[in-house]
Amino acid sequence: MSAFPELQIEEHRLDNGLRVVLNPDAALPLVAVNLWYHVGSQNESRGRTGFAHLFEHMLFQGSLHVGTNDHFRYIQQVGGVANGSTWYDRTNYYETLPATHLELGLWLESDRMGWLLPAMTAEKLETQRQVVMNERRQRVDNQPYGRAYERLDELLFPAGHPYHWPVIGYMEDIAAATLEDVERFFRTWYTPDNAVLTLAGAFVPAEALALVRRYFDDIPPGPRPLRPRPPLDELQGPVSERQSDAVELSRLHLAFRLPPYGSDDWYAADLLATVLSGGRSSPLYRDLVYERQLAQDVGSFALPTELAGSFALVATARPEVPPETLEEAVREHLRRAGAEPFAEVEIERARNRVLTQHWEGLQQLDQRADQLSQLVTFFGDPHLLQHELERYRTLTADDLQRCAATWLRDERSAAVTVVPSAAAAGAAA
Amino acid sequence: MTAPSGAPRAAAAVDRTRPPAAAPPLPFRFPPFLHRRLLPGLDLYAARVLRAPMASVELILPRGGQSDPAGARGLASLTADLLDEGTERRSGPELATWVERLGGSLSATADWDASYVACTLLAEHLPQALALLAEVALTPSFPEPEVERLRKRRLAELMRRRSSPAALAEERLGRALYAGSPYGYPLIGEEGDLGQLDRGAAARFYQWALHRGGATLIASGDLEPEALAATVTDLFASWPAELAPVPPPIEPVTAAGIAVHVVDRPQAAQTELRLGHPGPPRNHPDRVPLSVMNSLLGGKFISRINLNLREKHGYTYGAHSSFANRLGPGPFQVSAAVASESCGAAVAETLGELRRLQQEPPEPAELADAVQYLEGVFPYTLQTVESVAQRLSQLAVFGLADDYFDRYFVELREVTPEEVRAVAARHLRPDTSAVVAVGPAAVLVPQLERFGPVAVWSPSGELDVGA
Repeated sequence: MSAFPELQIEEHRLDNGLRVVLNPDAALPLVAVNLWYHVGSQNESRGRTGFAHLFEHMLFQGSLHVGTNDHFRYIQQVGGVANGSTWYDRTNYYETLPATHLELGLWLESDRMGWLLPAMTAEKLETQRQVVMNERRQRVDNQPYGRAYERLDELLFPAGHPYHWPVIGYMEDIAAATLEDVERFFRTWYTPDNAVLTLAGAFVPAEALALVRRYFDDIPPGPRPLRPRPPLDELQGPVSERQSDAVELSRLHLAFRLPPYGSDDWYAADLLATVLSGGRSSPLYRDLVYERQLAQDVGSFALPTELAGSFALVATARPEVPPETLEEAVREHLRRAGAEPFAEVEIERARNRVLTQHWEGLQQLDQRADQLSQLVTFFGDPHLLQHELERYRTLTADDLQRCAATWLRDERSAAVTVVPSAAAAGAAA
Repeated sequence: MTAPSGAPRAAAAVDRTRPPAAAPPLPFRFPPFLHRRLLPGLDLYAARVLRAPMASVELILPRGGQSDPAGARGLASLTADLLDEGTERRSGPELATWVERLGGSLSATADWDASYVACTLLAEHLPQALALLAEVALTPSFPEPEVERLRKRRLAELMRRRSSPAALAEERLGRALYAGSPYGYPLIGEEGDLGQLDRGAAARFYQWALHRGGATLIASGDLEPEALAATVTDLFASWPAELAPVPPPIEPVTAAGIAVHVVDRPQAAQTELRLGHPGPPRNHPDRVPLSVMNSLLGGKFISRINLNLREKHGYTYGAHSSFANRLGPGPFQVSAAVASESCGAAVAETLGELRRLQQEPPEPAELADAVQYLEGVFPYTLQTVESVAQRLSQLAVFGLADDYFDRYFVELREVTPEEVRAVAARHLRPDTSAVVAVGPAAVLVPQLERFGPVAVWSPSGELDVGA
C-alpha cells in the first residue's frame, strides 16, 4: 500500500468578503470550480416557497456578457460538466473543466454574480417557471412516495419555521414568482460576502488566486441581511399521519429533530444511522429484511442542516406485512439503541464504512470541492475535510446510546406512512 | 442593454465581453494497465491507480440474462444474486459481516451480457477481497431458504415497479421492441416464471454458464498488477474451464410504422415518455461516430432535443437520448418526463429532430462542440478507482481491443458532418419507432393517435381493449 499525503488546502479572503479555498491536486488534468451561496429555502417566506430554487434556474439563463443558453454551451463545448442545486441552507453552482479552462469557469461565475440582472426577462422567467413545475411533477407529484418527505418536514417543523416547507416549493408559489422577486433576492443574497468559492484540481495556487482576484475583486459586497434563528420548542409527539398514494407497497418515513450539523450529537446520530442500517450486516437490515422479512428495504440518515439537524428512517413493507407491524419493529430497534450500548464491533463496522465513504468522496474533485465549500460556509474551516474523521473516531458506544435516548424518542417523532390507495395507479381489476 | 445603477463596473484589466482564451489541453491518456491471460479461460485486467488507498476488484462471469432459459426468465439475475448469499464455508450474513467490518462492500449482479461479483474496500484488505471473490464464485451453495427469500423479494420488487412511472415506461418499451426475446422482459424476470426459479434451476444455470470459460478479473486502485496476477492465478487454478454456451440471439420485433403504447395512470401528474427502436450492438464499427451523433442529438444539456423540449418549449425538466451498451442490438431511446397536455407536441418535436439530423449534416461548429465535449469529459469519468475498473470491464465484456480508449480519441477527431448525417440515417428509425407514454390515457390518446395505432395498457400489464 502507498502512503497518501494530506491534501494541500489554502484559504483566502478578498476585500469584498469572498472566501476562496484552493486545493491544488495535479493527479488529473481537471479543475473543479464550486461556488456556495449561503442562501436556500430557509431564507424564503410563506407564499414564496421554492423561490431559491427557481432563482437557481435563472442563473443558467445568461448574464450581461453570457447569452441565454450559453452557460452550458461554453462549458460543454470544452468538455466540462456543470450544474447547480438548492437545499435548505444553501445554493451551489459548480463545473468541472479541463484544467486549462479554469479561467472560463471564473469568467462565467463572476459574470452571473456581478451582472445577472441586466439579462433577466419576463420570458425567461416564464419558461423556467414551466420547467420547474415539471421538475416538481417529476420529482414529487408523479413519484411514488414523492409527497412523503414534504409532509414529514411539515410535521417535524412548526408552521413558520423555515424547514417547514419543501425546498422545491409549493406549486402555487412557483407560479406566483415575479421578476421583482428575482431582483430583490439577487441583491440581498447573491453577493461575494455571502459566498465561498472553492477550486480543486490541476493549477498553481498563486496563479489561480490571481485569476480569482481578476474576475471577482470588483464585485461590491452586499447588505449582509439578518439571519434570524427562529426558536424551536420541543416537538410534542408522537405525531403521525397516513397518506394514501398510487403505490403497491406501504412505506414508513420516521423522523426526529437533531441538534445542528457540527454538534457532537449530530456526529453521534450520523454514526448511529450507519450502525443501525449501513450495509447488509447492520442490525436493522439483518432483522427486518433478512430474518423476519417484514421489510423490502430499510435505510436511515442524518441531514447536515444548519438551524436544526434531522434524523430520518425509511422502511418499505413487504406486501403481506401491515405497516403497523413494521413500524413497531422499527421503533423497538430505536428504543433498544437508547436503552443499551451497541457492541464495539458494530461501531467499528460503522467507522470503517465512514472512512471508506470519505475516500470515495475525496476521489471526485467536484464532491471534494463541494465539501470544502460546505465546511467553510458552516464552520469557516476547510481543514475539517480531514479532521472531521476525528469526530467519528472518538465517539463511543455510550455516546451513541445517549444520543439515541435523547433525540430518537417516540414522543419526539414524526411519522408519515404511505399506504396503497384503493384505486392504486389505476390497477386493473 | 445597459446595466442598472448599482451594478459593478468592470475593471479595465478584464475583458468580460468574450470568453477567455485557454492554453492547449494538458495531455491525458487512459491509465496503463496489465492485460494477461492467466489461465485458460481467465483473463486479468489490472490498473495501478493511485488516487486513494482504495482498491476495486470485480470478477466477470461470461453469461447474463440473454442466456435465461425459456420459461425461466430472470434466472441469470437470480443466480447472480445468490452467489453471495452463501458458500460451502459461510452463510450470506457471515460473508456480509466479514466484508462490511472492513468497511467494504460486496455485490453480485447480472446484466443482459454477463454476471459480476464486485468488492470495493481499503487497499490494505485487497488479499482478503480476492479470496472472497474466489470463494463466492467457486463454491456458492445456493441455500434453499435464501432462494425462497429472494424470490419473495423479487415479487415485491415487481409490484413496486408497477407504481413507478419510469420503470413502467422502460418495461413497456422493452416489450414493444423485443417481445418474445431476451430484452423483452425485465431482467429480474416476470411474476409467472418466479415459481420456476428454484434452487435446482440456479445451481444448474451456475454449472452451465458461470465458470472460468471466458471469465475476467478486473482490478483497479492502490495495487501491484504483477503481484496480483500471481495471487489470482493461485486462487482460480482449480476452477473448471469449459467454454460457456452461446446464448440465443436477440430477435427484435419488426415494425412497419410507429406504434404507440399508453400505460394508463388516470391520476398521474405528468407523463413519462419514451421513444425508441432497436439499435446497433456496443461493438458496432460505427460506434464512435454514433457517440458523436448522439451527443449532438440528445447526449448532453445543450443537445438539440433538450434545448427544444426544455429551453424552447418548457415541456419538460429534461430530455435526453442514448444508445444501450449491450452485446446485442439494445435500444436507442429518447427519454423525458413531460407535461401530459404537451405529450403529442413533444413527440412531434422529437421525431422532427431525428428526421432533421438524418437529412442535414450539422454545422461544423456544432460537430466540433460535440467532439470536444466527448474528449474533454473523458477524464472526468475516470476519477475513481471504481470508474477505471468499470472502463476495463467494458473492454472485457464487449471484446474491445486494449488500445480502444487511445484510438477513441483519434477516431473522435476524424468524424465529419456528413458522417454524422450518414450514421443518423443508418441507425435512427423515427418512422418505425415505438412511442411509450405512461400517464392519463384520456388526455394522451387524443394527442397520440395521429402518430400510429394506439394500444392502452394497465400498469399491471393487461391490454385495455375498451379504450
